[in-house]
Amino acid sequence: MELQAVLMAAGGGSRMMDLTYNTPKPLLPVGNKPLIWYPLNLLERVGFEEVIVITTKEVQKMISTDPKVKLDVKMKLDLVCIQEDADMGTADALRHIQQKVKTDVLVVSCDLITDAALHEVVDLFRAHNATLSMLMSKAHEFTETVPGQKGKKKTGEQRDFVGVDGTGKRLLFMANEADLDEGVVIRKSIMRKHPRMHIKTGLVDAHLYCLKKSVVDFLADNKSISSIRGELVPYLVRKQFSKSTNSPKVIDETHQNLKKNDSNVNLEIQISSRDEELLHLTQERSCWNDHRGDMSDAYHGGRLRCYVHIMDEGICYRVNTLAAYIEANRLAPKLFDEPAVHPSAVVSERCLIGADSIIGASCQISDKTSIKRSTIGVSTTVREKVKVTNSIIMHGVTIEEGCNIQGSVICSNAVIGRGADIKYCLVGSAQRIEPDALPFETLLRPPCLRSTLTPTSTHRSTHTQCLFKQLNRNNTCLC
Amino acid sequence: MGLVASRGGKQKKGNVTSEQEEEEQPLQAVLVADSFNRRFFPISKDQPRALLPLGNVAMIDYTLEFLTSTGVQETFVFCCWMSNKIKDHLLKSKWCRPTSPNVVHIITSDLYRSLGDVLRDVDAKNLVRNDFILVYGDVVSNIDVSQALQEHRHRRKVDKNISVMTMVFKESSPGHKSRCEEDDVIVAMDSKSKRVLHYQKTQGLKKLQFPMNIFQHGSDEFEIRHDLLDCHISICSPQVAELFTDNFDYQTRNDFVRGILVNEEILGNQIHLYVTQDGYGARVSNLQMYDSVSSDMVRRWVYPLTPEANFTDQQGQGCTHSRHNVYRGAEVSLGHGSQMEENVLIGRDTSIGANCHISNSVIGNNCTIGDNVVLDRAHMWNNVHISSNVEIHQSVVCDGAVVKEAVRLNKQCVLAYNVVIGPNLSLPEGTVVSMHHPEEEEEDDDDEFLSDDQEVGHSKDKTRQKAFNPAEVGPEGKGYIWKASMNDTEDEELAQCLWGLVLNPDPESDSESEASEESQDRSRSVSPEIDDVNAFQLEVLGTLQRGLEENIVCDNLVLEINSLKYAYNITLKEVMQILTRVVLEYPFQQQGTQLTTLQYTGSLLPLLKTWSPVFKNYIKRAQDHLDCLSAVEELFLEQDTHQTAMVKVLMKMYQLEILEEEAILKWFSTGATNDKSRQLRKNQGLQKFIQWLKEAEDESSEEGE
Repeated sequence: MELQAVLMAAGGGSRMMDLTYNTPKPLLPVGNKPLIWYPLNLLERVGFEEVIVITTKEVQKMISTDPKVKLDVKMKLDLVCIQEDADMGTADALRHIQQKVKTDVLVVSCDLITDAALHEVVDLFRAHNATLSMLMSKAHEFTETVPGQKGKKKTGEQRDFVGVDGTGKRLLFMANEADLDEGVVIRKSIMRKHPRMHIKTGLVDAHLYCLKKSVVDFLADNKSISSIRGELVPYLVRKQFSKSTNSPKVIDETHQNLKKNDSNVNLEIQISSRDEELLHLTQERSCWNDHRGDMSDAYHGGRLRCYVHIMDEGICYRVNTLAAYIEANRLAPKLFDEPAVHPSAVVSERCLIGADSIIGASCQISDKTSIKRSTIGVSTTVREKVKVTNSIIMHGVTIEEGCNIQGSVICSNAVIGRGADIKYCLVGSAQRIEPDALPFETLLRPPCLRSTLTPTSTHRSTHTQCLFKQLNRNNTCLC
Repeated sequence: MGLVASRGGKQKKGNVTSEQEEEEQPLQAVLVADSFNRRFFPISKDQPRALLPLGNVAMIDYTLEFLTSTGVQETFVFCCWMSNKIKDHLLKSKWCRPTSPNVVHIITSDLYRSLGDVLRDVDAKNLVRNDFILVYGDVVSNIDVSQALQEHRHRRKVDKNISVMTMVFKESSPGHKSRCEEDDVIVAMDSKSKRVLHYQKTQGLKKLQFPMNIFQHGSDEFEIRHDLLDCHISICSPQVAELFTDNFDYQTRNDFVRGILVNEEILGNQIHLYVTQDGYGARVSNLQMYDSVSSDMVRRWVYPLTPEANFTDQQGQGCTHSRHNVYRGAEVSLGHGSQMEENVLIGRDTSIGANCHISNSVIGNNCTIGDNVVLDRAHMWNNVHISSNVEIHQSVVCDGAVVKEAVRLNKQCVLAYNVVIGPNLSLPEGTVVSMHHPEEEEEDDDDEFLSDDQEVGHSKDKTRQKAFNPAEVGPEGKGYIWKASMNDTEDEELAQCLWGLVLNPDPESDSESEASEESQDRSRSVSPEIDDVNAFQLEVLGTLQRGLEENIVCDNLVLEINSLKYAYNITLKEVMQILTRVVLEYPFQQQGTQLTTLQYTGSLLPLLKTWSPVFKNYIKRAQDHLDCLSAVEELFLEQDTHQTAMVKVLMKMYQLEILEEEAILKWFSTGATNDKSRQLRKNQGLQKFIQWLKEAEDESSEEGE
């Protein structure tokens, strides 16, 4: 076994609370499959037979009990639960399973939807005997209108500055704009070794990392690091050029020191592996070099190396915001080859279903409905004369006659009353929209979140007000 | 700095007429045949740099050939220092024949003091009508800039004259020998538009800082490049000349580039770059560069500008090319058993004796070389006489020099014009021998402008009177050991060494920067006592006093000091020294000189705190730190009763982050030049402080790395 796969599925989805209130993020339906299926499928496609899934008790329970959450994978899943309220970061989670880690690891986040060729990342890892290799992609502009979000793009977003060398593979610099008050500072010695540095800002990190086992061991010793992306990766990138890791002498010394006092916290990362000496010998004997221009050894004698594969095209989304969720739903059908309409769905012949829509299992679609560019979840009932465009309908939703739903997200088990006209709304799970209501650009959040409900457009206030009244009559506390 | 305002009308007029003419108008070039510095002294005392032979051809001919081959049809040659010689040379050359495709206009003036002056004159005389190429007379290149020119014109068409300059760079990784260490630049650019966002010389820097605002231009891909060699070829829009006129304080291209980049938002001008991968382009800015460009030439990197091509079209200049890059001119005689190993160029009518070993060398016309001579990386110009049993390594021997029996020239020696050396002598590494006496030079130099341009003929009589030192130049020798004059405070950035900085193979070591800083330290001690400086000191004192009384913000103090600096024409370095002195003397000034050490520190330390922003404004580069420290040292050497206070002052300045520990440590270890300062460093408190700093540094470096 060369690599062990670790799937991080314990995140709460704090950036899309509206959706994750009732459904944990890993189980959110995307194209009628739980989100976690996508990374699992990705791993399965490249031949992994076993995955360590780090998740919460809640998710574990739902995976084993809920029939709607069917994980269609043949791999052996090793579910490891961590406490939800312990506020553990990804690095903490990795430390938690250190005992299980026997080889180098491939860490994937559960919210990754991609068609990336995984071997590109792993090949970098292998070819350069890298300490870290990761996947990034050009950022996508989200084109769809997001419910409840007025401006198209949030301004003042902090960009990530990623510096790679001339080949575009070696990771040399990584920082967030927020930490760069004094501008981008780069040591001259780095520029001497890598005289051409590309700095890219429009990238998304796919949160997919190949890590050496020694890094996991290092994490176990170094408890202050709690997040992979936030702390570990920048640390490793910086560490590439520090003197102590580059001169073998110092490493030997720290080795000895370690043997002497194991109780001390190990702040140095041990990158030498079992075969290190052999590898070193081959490198010495070979005429291959990773750079041109000067006469120094390959990698300038450095032992710690970070690489990144940057996807130029293809799908790569992290489903961690509402906008990304909507976009992912639109693109998900392209990723797998399954009939758009589930065989067990009952679809009337006198209805119109666009080729870009998905109908889940045991749905009932009645006459004279029209469904375009939408996803209809499992066990959803759609009555007559309903029009659904550009929307995501989750599981067990009931849509009564004559509704018009456009650009909206309807969460599980909601009921949309007769004749409702819903445009660019998010309807929380198990909400009930009364007949003839006309919400527009509104978020209907689950009851306990009511304090955050704000009508997003003032000129539509009449609609919203009437909506509030109706809801009040029904004793749902929304004001 | 004067900003553009009145220019609008002029530009518009230009636009209307230009559209069609653009294609038809001949391409113009401005060639600056003066370096405006004295790096090649004492060689350039007798011959301007542009006429120095490189591969037996004057450097300016390479530049003109380069311009002509890229399609330049009209060249303005600006000369200042020894302009007559350049003029004579050009009038005799093929460029002034009626058939020349490139019309050369020679413009001379003794008033040019910098590139800025030349371009202001270009503007005043209205010489350029369109985009032009700007080069120095010592650029050797075979780059085809037509591609760059096309890109430049396209950008100007699309963006309505926003791009004012396209700089031409050659790709070459750090450590390459044709890279000039002093010209080491780092460039931040926009990957797509090739726009220069940041341009900085990296010499002496350990960390490179790029301000955030350069990344805010909407693009999401940038490149930081350290693999570029500045060819000193720039394609300029006519606005460049105008901008130089408007900003009368621009002296060099560096000033210009920096000014444009800093004021980009105000003026809206941009600079782009063009990178060539296979061309060759380099400027001979010091002897190190001369050595490497010359050997590149002989190794045919500048093809088609090769020695045997005789592109200057001069009678008798032709030579044959045989394998191992051995070139022989006409009538060369070679003695029995002599070997020309590789990369050797020998000019016409030169005779070489028996059993000589010659490699990687250029020998000029009409030279005679005796028997058993070893030449390696030697550059010998015309009419040189070398006697037998001579050994020359990596040295330059100028016209008419005579080297007598059994002389050995070690690395980086220079024998200037008509010097006689030997016999039986070994010149140590880096010796420069000239017929000009260095002291004579300094005397009549002091009030003159610091440039190549100055007639020294009248001092020759005096020079003759002084006897040659046989220990230096040998019993039959003629010449004086030349020491580079150190009073050159204007040009702090350039180390005034003929050979320039030695290429440093180990990037981690700092020895190179230390060396140059030391030399600058020495130069500081001879700073002249001019009235301006005293007046400035009083003004600064007054400013600070007022600042305290009226509680003026430090920023305003800085503004005031800056304007004083201009009014009294004080260099930045002096500002810092004076500022340090004034602040440290402030307690004495206010409360009399009878203060005890305790009282002194008690009143000084709060002041340091108050004025720390002022200090920080002036103390930025590593050199500044050292200068400040030596100013502190100087003061406490004078006030020797208060030496114990020095530690406290240093400690406070360190805590206030005015001074960096690195600088303090460096100052402590290297700054001692005489007994007194060595004594000062033995102070116990200081020793402890340094010890403490070292420990602190060790800790922090462990963490930091």
